[in-house]
Amino acid sequence: MIPAPFSYRRAGSVAEALDLCTEYGEDAKFLAGGHSLLPLMKLRLAMPEVLIDLGPVRELSYVREEDGHIAIGALTRHHDLEHSEMLARVLPLLAHAAGQVGDPQVRHRGTIGGSLAHSDPASDLPATVLALDATLVARGPAGSREIAAADFFQGLFETELEPDELLTEIRVPVPAAGAAGWSFQKFTKRAIDWAIVGVAVQGSAVALVNMAGTPVRAAGVEAALAGGATPAEAAAHAAEGTSPADDINASPAYREHLARVLVERALLEAQSV
Amino acid sequence: MSGVIGQAVSRIDGPAKVTGSAHYSGEIALPGLAYAEIVGARVASGRITSIDTAQAEDAEGVAGILTHLNMPKVNNVPLLPSLIGGPAPGETFFPMQDDVVHYAGQPVAIVVADGLEQAQHAATLVQISYAETPSITTIDQGRADAYEPEKIFGGLMPAQTRRGNVEDGFAAADLLIDAPFRFAANHHNPIEALTTTAVWDGDQLTLYDSCQGIKAVQLTVAALLGLSPSKIRVLTRYVGGAFGAKAMVWPHVTLTALAAQYVRRPVRLALPRGQMFTSCGHREEQEQHIELGATSDGKLTAIRHHKISITSPFDDWAEPAFGVASQLYACPGFEGVHRLVRGNTMTPTFTRGPGEAVGVFTLECAMDELASELGIDPIELRLRNITDVDPNTGHPWSSYGLRECFERGARRFGWAGRNPQPRSERHGNWLIGTGMATAGYPIAFFMHTQRARAHLYADGTAIVQTATQEFGTGTSTVMTQVAADGLGIGLRDVRFEFGDTDLPNAGSPVGSNGAMMVSAAVHNAATAVRDQLITLAVSDSQSPLHGADPAGVVVAGGRMTLAGDANTGETYSSLMQRHIMSDAEAIGSWDPPPLDTPHGLLTFGAQFARVAVDADLGIIRVRHMVGAFAPGRVLNPKTARSQLMGGMLWGMSQALLEGTHMDTRHGRWANASLGDYLVPVNADAPDVDVELIEVEDHVTGPLGVKGVGEIGQVGAAAAIANAVYHATGYRVRELPIAVEHLLAHLPSGPASAAAGAQPDLT
Repeated sequence: MIPAPFSYRRAGSVAEALDLCTEYGEDAKFLAGGHSLLPLMKLRLAMPEVLIDLGPVRELSYVREEDGHIAIGALTRHHDLEHSEMLARVLPLLAHAAGQVGDPQVRHRGTIGGSLAHSDPASDLPATVLALDATLVARGPAGSREIAAADFFQGLFETELEPDELLTEIRVPVPAAGAAGWSFQKFTKRAIDWAIVGVAVQGSAVALVNMAGTPVRAAGVEAALAGGATPAEAAAHAAEGTSPADDINASPAYREHLARVLVERALLEAQSV
Repeated sequence: MSGVIGQAVSRIDGPAKVTGSAHYSGEIALPGLAYAEIVGARVASGRITSIDTAQAEDAEGVAGILTHLNMPKVNNVPLLPSLIGGPAPGETFFPMQDDVVHYAGQPVAIVVADGLEQAQHAATLVQISYAETPSITTIDQGRADAYEPEKIFGGLMPAQTRRGNVEDGFAAADLLIDAPFRFAANHHNPIEALTTTAVWDGDQLTLYDSCQGIKAVQLTVAALLGLSPSKIRVLTRYVGGAFGAKAMVWPHVTLTALAAQYVRRPVRLALPRGQMFTSCGHREEQEQHIELGATSDGKLTAIRHHKISITSPFDDWAEPAFGVASQLYACPGFEGVHRLVRGNTMTPTFTRGPGEAVGVFTLECAMDELASELGIDPIELRLRNITDVDPNTGHPWSSYGLRECFERGARRFGWAGRNPQPRSERHGNWLIGTGMATAGYPIAFFMHTQRARAHLYADGTAIVQTATQEFGTGTSTVMTQVAADGLGIGLRDVRFEFGDTDLPNAGSPVGSNGAMMVSAAVHNAATAVRDQLITLAVSDSQSPLHGADPAGVVVAGGRMTLAGDANTGETYSSLMQRHIMSDAEAIGSWDPPPLDTPHGLLTFGAQFARVAVDADLGIIRVRHMVGAFAPGRVLNPKTARSQLMGGMLWGMSQALLEGTHMDTRHGRWANASLGDYLVPVNADAPDVDVELIEVEDHVTGPLGVKGVGEIGQVGAAAAIANAVYHATGYRVRELPIAVEHLLAHLPSGPASAAAGAQPDLT
């Protein structure tokens, strides 16, 4: 339970973080809240030679209302999202989901950008931003580029980010008036555990937690809804196209059952909001 | 009596613990300290064919490595539970005496280095080859060779309990209940791992050890190493939880002492979490089969209760399942039989409510089935069967209170008017059910003489000492109260000193006996000093109390007065100053009643639970728990309530989460981490209400204390399981109860959904 040797550097700004990243290249890894990365390092599933600590980079901690979307700094902590009055008003799904991550200690350290860049399909926020059709902003030596959430997650611990890029901002379109209904369903054995399966719904967009190697949109459900299906009818399609894991917590068959039940509940709750 | 006893005093050790100034065994700073790491056997059965330590010895910082090739030989010491007060090894086997491997994780090498990380790294460099032989690690694998031992529980208990004639009882019954149960193994997992620091000074050994009994550590290490106990001092003030894992003295303690001797430096060993599953025993995997016979009006006629469980290759250990289960009800015929399977695991040990927490689960689930079959309210069924005498001996209970537990628990819970029909309440997706169970826990008088010393200074302050330790239960707070009460001085004027084997003897607080036995000695020491000074005062012509009857003198706030005349008296200080006394001192001792005392000895309680079961998903959430307990005299309602609440949550954990599963391919535990061995977190705790029913007891020591350590757990899991039946209409006869047990039996689970096939859950 001791990490492999690594060097530690602190970045005071985004520019400094990118400089350090250029200096160390693929051997470096950014450290945000550390609640996912450090356990992986202790298990030696991650062995970066250099850790670039983004803790002092406070310029990336914000929630702002901009032209038609909400801009969230990548280093905004879960606790701040959970308690943002603006999010509670405009993007209650995100505020609520952030409040479901881990436990209070984790929410005071963990950041939204760290959670997304870590790309664990069992995490709450990747599926949430997928359901919200968010755009992720990455900055590298050549400047900034935008990546759709649907393209960002490539696999377990794998994203569209280049090794020299830093995720800086998450842009979430403000849901249209007709798509204001939302729900977040998370199934765990204990309060603090990762979701065995979870569902994020915003309007008629449905994303699943932990039903594949990445967070996935429940395309079959969305198509059925578009065709006028009831929540129960649509939810029957929840497991289509998924590839749930078989592990100590649940079998694939039970995960598929969970997806169907939780999607139906989420759709019904979203309708009632 | 100053009224300090019975007050809800906050923990005296609280500020030291929350500010970090309370030092635990792994935090003692020592010059030249080295760190040890155990290498555990990779296989569950076989022989070591070669062991190569060259690479490890060359690693940076390594001070020495012990294996079976250079480990000194130790004495054989029989296994006897620590509650008796003698040497108490956790198993009769001692590692590294030869090349045989009996269980996976068995210590096969111990590496000592300057730093912890260096020791951990070097441990990975020890090269060991094994000739592996087939292992038996589950009941199923060894069932064909099961046997009936003569004695169990370290030779302390007979393997059979019988009274009356069960065949006659079954013949007289109108109704039979026949129910088999299965239980996964459990591991204790206190948050402070077992930790030992050993320091030699010539032939004197000092141990700082995270344990439940410093005397047991002293005597066990002395017996194994052939040392005089006078050469060994154990210093342990604070222990971060134990749950039975630290009740016996496991091999790592003596291994650390031997390693320190070998490298001629102080050595510390802190077991990593993974090794906590293979170093300090566990609750064994077991099956219980119960048959009840009853008349149509609900009177029990016979109980047959059999258990089979798996033990180590060397010890006949089974936690005794039929103590309380044979005593709760006035059933004329009882037969309890333990059978054992020898397997490649370490010797099991005391674990949270050992034996009783599982045996009472089985009985109380069967009683619920009987109540359902007969259409009798579960409380009413129990009221028809409870007894004012111990049914095994015919002796009256030393104190009782069970009826009041049912009454007050039921009132607090809102039991009246319950619809007995299963699946009769549904809120949204949740099926709601309620259940109850009887609780009981033995009072074990196995300990020897308990002693404490009280030392009062002329300024009216006191130090009271005994060789116990604080493992989080509130001992130091409660004993300060008992000492202040006995001396008749204020709480702040007493310092309770403990955690040193050089102090007067106290036994290991195990089996929920700590408050009873330690308080008896402390009370007797404190009142002995008080009585010395009262005697001096009444014989002193200058004292206002001169000539008074000593029995008519009371003390409060350090002032002796005539009972009923607060104006006539003087303080300890004025008396002692006049006599030019700087202090007064006494040793108080207490011997338990004989084992054949003509009293039934149990603590009683009643448990209630409300659960919600997701009608589609099968997950169970506990919504509310009520426990009513009659623990004799309550020394401190705050710490007592906390212990009982904790015990009830152990019961929830036992019912729904805790299980260690064996990977039979390798003979190793499959989920040996806190990520995979689940225990509830704070956010999982439901509302937990505790009712305390004080009953007067003149047998259990001078204060009439019975104990609150473990009874909170007994019956709690059964109340939950019975509530799950009431919610769903399906009885799960396995712990922990899991989603997969219920899924096919739910109104809209996948078995009844269009998908058809029942999911195979792992």
